[in-house]
Amino acid sequence: MAEITYLLENGEKVVVSAGIGNNLLEVARGANVAIDAPCSGNGACGKCRVRLVEGAIDAPRTSHISDEEYAEGWRLSCACKIEDDRPITVLVPDIASAYQSRIRTADLSDEREIKIFTDIQDHMNEVGLGISHRFDQVTFTMDEPTLDDTMPDNERFERAFLAAVGCDAVELSFHALRRLAAVMREKDFAVTAIYEKQAHRYLVYDVFPAGTDIKICALAIDIGTTTVTGALSDLTTGEILSRASAGNGQIRYGADVINRIIEQTKEGGIAKLQKAIIDETLIPLIDMMVRDAGIEKGQIVRMSVASNTTMNHLFVGASANSLRMEPYIPTFFRCPPVKAGNLRLPVNPLADLFIAPNIGSYVGGDITAGTMASMVWNKEEFSLFIDLGTNGEIVFGNNEFLMSCACSAGPAFEGGDISCGMRATDGAIEAISIDKESMEPTVRIVGKDGQKPVGICGSGIIDVISELFRCGIIDSKGKFVREGARVRRDAHDMGRYVLFESSESETGREICINEVDIESFIRAKGAIFSAIDTMLQTLDMTPEVLEHIYIAGGIGSGIDIENAIRIGMLPDVDREKYAYIGNSSLAGSYAISLSDAAYEKVLDIASNMTYLELSTYPGYMDHFVAACFLPHTDASLFPSVQV
Amino acid sequence: MPFVPKVSAYNAKINTLVIGTGEKALKLGGNNTLPFYEFDAVSENKPAIGVEISDLALEEYVQPGLKSFYEGCDTIPAMAKKAQEIPGASFIALTLASADPNGANTSVEDCVALVKEVADAIELPLAVAGCKNIEKDAELFNKISEALTGKNILVLSAREENYKTIGASAGLAYGQKVGAESAVDINLAKQLNTIMLQLGVSADAIAIQAGSAAAGYGYEYVASTLDRIKNAALQAADTQLQMPIVTPVSTETWAVKESTLPQEEQPEWGDPEQRGIEMEITTASACLACGSDAVILRHPESIKTIAGMIDALTEVK
Repeated sequence: MAEITYLLENGEKVVVSAGIGNNLLEVARGANVAIDAPCSGNGACGKCRVRLVEGAIDAPRTSHISDEEYAEGWRLSCACKIEDDRPITVLVPDIASAYQSRIRTADLSDEREIKIFTDIQDHMNEVGLGISHRFDQVTFTMDEPTLDDTMPDNERFERAFLAAVGCDAVELSFHALRRLAAVMREKDFAVTAIYEKQAHRYLVYDVFPAGTDIKICALAIDIGTTTVTGALSDLTTGEILSRASAGNGQIRYGADVINRIIEQTKEGGIAKLQKAIIDETLIPLIDMMVRDAGIEKGQIVRMSVASNTTMNHLFVGASANSLRMEPYIPTFFRCPPVKAGNLRLPVNPLADLFIAPNIGSYVGGDITAGTMASMVWNKEEFSLFIDLGTNGEIVFGNNEFLMSCACSAGPAFEGGDISCGMRATDGAIEAISIDKESMEPTVRIVGKDGQKPVGICGSGIIDVISELFRCGIIDSKGKFVREGARVRRDAHDMGRYVLFESSESETGREICINEVDIESFIRAKGAIFSAIDTMLQTLDMTPEVLEHIYIAGGIGSGIDIENAIRIGMLPDVDREKYAYIGNSSLAGSYAISLSDAAYEKVLDIASNMTYLELSTYPGYMDHFVAACFLPHTDASLFPSVQV
Repeated sequence: MPFVPKVSAYNAKINTLVIGTGEKALKLGGNNTLPFYEFDAVSENKPAIGVEISDLALEEYVQPGLKSFYEGCDTIPAMAKKAQEIPGASFIALTLASADPNGANTSVEDCVALVKEVADAIELPLAVAGCKNIEKDAELFNKISEALTGKNILVLSAREENYKTIGASAGLAYGQKVGAESAVDINLAKQLNTIMLQLGVSADAIAIQAGSAAAGYGYEYVASTLDRIKNAALQAADTQLQMPIVTPVSTETWAVKESTLPQEEQPEWGDPEQRGIEMEITTASACLACGSDAVILRHPESIKTIAGMIDALTEVK
């Protein structure tokens, strides 16, 4: 046995003993030390770098570590084997655990994001899917107990409640009961109660001392494979009180769903994956939103979750194993009613947890919720809805039919699989243009003025590849063909374009995009385009039939449609037809959290949507290979793109 | 009612690729019909046969018939000269197998010297194939193209990984012809042509080498890919696929067990050399029927047979 010390950048220290021959990454996982390993420890992604501070460890130098870095002690933890029983100390850099990056409260002043939400709410209202629920609140004062009036608190409360509301039956929830005595006595027996009108009685969810402004709240969550976001709103008005996002804590078990499902099948896996999403991700995220909104947890009486099929299985603790193996069967499409308390979520334990229904193993509740938010189902014209997440999902149809498919685009749109990729948080380069003559870039960085660059997010990656192609710096295969000060090559002759020197970035590492990144991204965009192409072709249609194209996903605040078309990711049709609708899964989840009618609608959408399995469609592979080219092997599909 | 054949006329045609110079110069492609569809239009040029001479031929061409054909030739240039006598041979394809860094690793200088000797010894046009090592081939083709400036040779081949170097040297600087080799896939073939064209290599200096396989060894992919390329070139008039197709056959067919297994091990299979010839003929005839404008073969018997087949099926203008 050897003693391993993991030094975290925030100063924390985790000491654990491990047997000889064990893998450093595995040991870290066992000890709950978060090291980002999107490839699940295959040595492929190069993200699990640690720095050896003390001791010796058997680790080959891989192509992800330069000679210089190797000499400084940098190793890929997945390639490190514990050699003998001498103690080892490694430094885990913040970049390695960046996926857990500080929970970020979304800036509510971002007008574009807010507008997307209010627009969706307006649309929902127009079609009768606005706020609908049976919650209300009442404030009343009870008679103080005396020696002559010794009725217990709960009966006293119920009697006063019946009188104040004017109903026949009331029940106090167990959660409220436990709070009752203190609450009643805080404001001289004046209380505010949040209750739901149920069929045969009124159920009191929670009680508060009267006199404070008690909002009844709803919580909407979107669990993405990479990113989790939430919106807390006022159930009466729909006003958003706080928003936040965080990395999905399950990432340490792999960037893609398959690796996580495999991890779930291991001993204790179900609990481990559930803990990663609930305890390590959702609980801190919700706590933060609750604090931000200045409310109490008990005020959240409705909650909804939209997520892909794997994520909702891992979240509720259902086995997802059969999802990854033919014939790809999930445990559920529609999850039966469940209370938030069953999953230990820090909201009112009685809160109904609405989980947006899945329609296939790879088209889940994030898509049904997103489809609802996109309003594709309510238009006569044909629309396309594209969600650029860790997987790309596409829905096509109108008010008569809906058809969906999923393609594995990989995590590139969220910055995964890209050497300097990151989520669209502070420090992310979200927009890039390049001067054709000088080859110098101009960028826009997420964050406050003076924010130093950290990496490139999805929208920035689309921009940089499109611009490199436009300027003739890369060829249609994504290989560097023009030389210049910013185009550099490594020992293996792999080209890269340097956006920021190591001295200019926040992390002290150069920010660049290399040929391997570009190749990964070309595959991702090829997967998206070929899926669109194939789906339309099964119906004997071409992109010209499309009247609206809605782009959703966490690729950054917006996407430059012109650039996305130039690289052949989206169909070359009138730019006016495109609309960016942000995180549609969260928007759909938000609508469900506020409205029974919206939940009914999403169930209806799910039961009426057909699913096209691309992998069994004979022409798909051919379409895909043809699409892995800039802009496309068949240039006639992109008439407006000048090569 | 008399039978009136219906003629399919295409508005597009395959580019004509010329290799070699002077009287013996060879034209590949140029047709506007599917292979051997002489009833649609008479071919502009017949499909051609290249004779493969490996630089390891002295050690490796051990089959008795093959050995006896080259009897008395004790150098590679002498073999190449002799190969010209095979009826139906229209170009020599010298393969620099020994240049492979994982094999004999013959130096670039020695390879260039050999190619020059061969070029000087023969009258037929010359194609030069490399050793399949990306870096070595790029270096080889660069130097060979330079040394043989004016000979109009066909370099086999540039691949996605080294097309920039080979395209720029062989195709642009030294005016040679370049094969564009991809995996067996129409899209990959087209993508390589596209980036070669973007590089500035002229469309009539490119030959498609969309992979090959011995019959029975995944050959269906080759057949359907060649077929689709020809259809795209003629029917869809896809200019990026209108280059003639050159298919090396011998390097595939003489490496499979049907050609290499000694008779002792499988007596009922019969004579190995005869089997090898049959594999070569079977594969080559299939390639030609699917769209190859040239095949590269090794054995004089197969070459004779395939030349006979081509003659019987074509009626050149």
